Amino acid sequence: MRGMRLVRFILTRLLQAVPVVLGVVVLNFLLLQLAPGDAATVLAGEAGGAPAEYIEQLRARFGLDKPVLVQLGLYLKNILFLDLGFSFRNNSPVLGLILDRLWPTLLLMGATLVISVGGGVLLGVVAAIGVRTWRDHLISVAAVIAYATPLFWVGLMLILVFSIRLDWFPTSGMEDVVAFHEGWARVVDIAHHLVLPTITLSLFYLALYTRLMRATVLEQRGAEYATTARAKGLTERAITMRHVLRNALLPVVTMAGVQVGALLGGSVVVETVFAWPGLGQLAFQSLFARDFNLLLGIFFLSACLVVIVNIVVDVIYVLLDPRIRVGSST
Amino acid sequence: MRLVRCLALAAGLGSAVAGLAAAPAVAQKRGGTLVQITQPEPPTLGSYISTANPVGQVASKIYDGLLEYDFDLKPLPSLAEAWTISDDGKTVTFRLRPGVKFHDGKPFSSADVQFTVMEVLKKVHPRGINTFSEVTAVETPDPQTAVFRLNRPAPYMMAALSGYESPMLPKHVFGQGDIRSHQNANTPVGTGPFKFTEWRRGEFVRLDRNADYWKPGRPYLDRVVVRFIGDTGTRAAALEKGEAHIAGFGAVPYNDVKKLEKLPNIQIETKGYEMLSPVVELMFNTRKAPFDNVKVRQAISYAIDRKFVIDNIWFGFGKPTNGPISSNFAPTGLYSADVTNYNVADGIDRANRLLDEAGLPRKADGVRFEITHDITPYGEEWRRFGEYTQQALAKIGIKANLRYEDVATWLKRIYTDYDYEVSSNHLFNLADPVLGVHRAFHSRFIRPGTVFVNGVRWSDPRADDLMDRATIEPDPKKRAELYAEVQKIVVAAAPLAWTHEISFATVLDKRYRDVIVSPLGLFSSFDRAWRE
Repeated sequence: MRGMRLVRFILTRLLQAVPVVLGVVVLNFLLLQLAPGDAATVLAGEAGGAPAEYIEQLRARFGLDKPVLVQLGLYLKNILFLDLGFSFRNNSPVLGLILDRLWPTLLLMGATLVISVGGGVLLGVVAAIGVRTWRDHLISVAAVIAYATPLFWVGLMLILVFSIRLDWFPTSGMEDVVAFHEGWARVVDIAHHLVLPTITLSLFYLALYTRLMRATVLEQRGAEYATTARAKGLTERAITMRHVLRNALLPVVTMAGVQVGALLGGSVVVETVFAWPGLGQLAFQSLFARDFNLLLGIFFLSACLVVIVNIVVDVIYVLLDPRIRVGSST
Repeated sequence: MRLVRCLALAAGLGSAVAGLAAAPAVAQKRGGTLVQITQPEPPTLGSYISTANPVGQVASKIYDGLLEYDFDLKPLPSLAEAWTISDDGKTVTFRLRPGVKFHDGKPFSSADVQFTVMEVLKKVHPRGINTFSEVTAVETPDPQTAVFRLNRPAPYMMAALSGYESPMLPKHVFGQGDIRSHQNANTPVGTGPFKFTEWRRGEFVRLDRNADYWKPGRPYLDRVVVRFIGDTGTRAAALEKGEAHIAGFGAVPYNDVKKLEKLPNIQIETKGYEMLSPVVELMFNTRKAPFDNVKVRQAISYAIDRKFVIDNIWFGFGKPTNGPISSNFAPTGLYSADVTNYNVADGIDRANRLLDEAGLPRKADGVRFEITHDITPYGEEWRRFGEYTQQALAKIGIKANLRYEDVATWLKRIYTDYDYEVSSNHLFNLADPVLGVHRAFHSRFIRPGTVFVNGVRWSDPRADDLMDRATIEPDPKKRAELYAEVQKIVVAAAPLAWTHEISFATVLDKRYRDVIVSPLGLFSSFDRAWRE
């Protein structure tokens, strides 16, 4: 019964998502038209100039000579068939370009999520249990510092200390381009390259989750059900582990859901500093190159991802807290 | 005077001879990977359709040209073993090297030259459209001979046949399908010392040694990997640590260059940009008052302290100048120093006097008039140059407000809408003034929507005529005289204020030798580079 309802809920939500995503596409398309200059000008500018005939050739080939509404109509028609179009600048299909960058992005995003959520929950609980002890103070102060430090600075400092001075990690990139390892050696090599960017990107979110977790655990420990449990004679440890933790996780899950959306495109800084081949850098470069097909493709994918993550978060709510029901008409 | 220049070299391998002359007594070693940092990542590897700087840095290792060049910009044999130019300058015959193979094993022949020039470079190469505009046909009497038929003489064409500027493509690969969106653009096949292996977007391009390269024993390196690192600090760190070995064209900002220079494993090289020769210029919108007045333009030309700019903004990497043609053309005779000298100690006084004469006196607050200065959106030093210009103009009573926009917006403002007063830029002189200099002030290049051309919209029939004559003048001496006259006229009229020649700095790992061996520097093939 509950399973059926869950499936129906997911299907309904997916259907509802279609107009939302389409709306996002149209809005993005129109917003991008406001940017002055076009892909042809930028290409010619990068080339240090080109004859007018050449630039006109480019415009015609890119379809930029057509009216905006016609361009939009064509784009929407293609998107309905999941055809993301062609990046003329990169001379290759948009989908391929995005997929190439997807797995490095997911790798960095996944590693960051695990460390920041895991570490944040743990540190938050430790701080809350020992509230107003040295442990709490230490964790809280560290969290504020981590929260307030700019990412690029952290990244560069980590490179300076752990890469140049101590020589523990490579400065940048995803693998060793002199050795080109294969098989397991390659896995180890990639993991080795992943460490510094993950730490850099995790710090901010780690601080965020720590503070959030500490606050909610403190709040929940004062709730009536916790008092009841205490009256029943349960140990503090059991109360925290079995009752408080589960309730306190809800806001963290919400935040993590928001974070996934932001991580996809929001790690531009870390990707740039560590030369990590992720989607953020791709989006950033395509904006400055006015490569709108590619940029719209990335936006489209991000919109889809955010919708899916939202659904997943709702489902996790249900699993964490049986009182929340899906699909109930209220 | 006969103009037949037959350069059939007895050895057949002119570059090898030149190599021996330049190389130290150390024997070159085989093996090793050179990691080059190129910034930004190229949009494509099709150097026959895009002249963007990063494209050339990668593709020049894969494609050869008909010719190579020495540091005096003299042509050397490459895919063409020898060449002759007819007396009237309208027929150029190339004898092609036999036994050259493309990376896919198929032979290189005159049919490939014909296809590349007539079907590709003349039609879709951004500069090739101009370079080969006089070429009416390329005849192929036999597989080793290519005859270029020209409408009028085109002396500049002989300077534009390097593997970077005019890459020779395989007809059997690029002859099929639309050249503008060809699938092999990003999986290139050439005759060069390195073969394309893989391009992982956002990370690197991997090029492996071409064992069948036509120069015996070359290349020495096993591999060249081109990496893309978006952050300037990280680029410097990778070079410092030896993870990357070469970076040029401003990929490392000058302040980092100064820091890296002190490290024992790094050397700084300023050679290798002689066929590009960027010259920095202030641009005046000459159709807009008060910049339609030559005195105002001259005044600003006098107000810029070249030495201060070079020492403080370009960290000493530059050379003061007054005119549009770079002193790198001195060996060819095309550069002339006989022009108005704006680089004088009493520049500010002269500028103030000129502005008074122009009828633009200082008002009560000391300001003559107010303008907006558009900063060139190419990074740190340009921003500082904009700020310096603001201060320099203040000294002569011109109040300049700074505006900073992104590249696409700025290009549109300057070269399409002409909605500006003063801005700055740097145009590359390239291999010949016809290719790189005329565009800045010849009336033919007032073309709305075309970038890096005559955005100042200055026009002078006398200068136009001289440039047109120089374009088709086959005699180097007469050509030099024509250009001397052009330089005199434009520098006096100051449609732009040329301030200095930029010296790019290449950061190089000392373990690598013979890397920068041509005026094209990072745009050359690295076939002679080797690792200690």
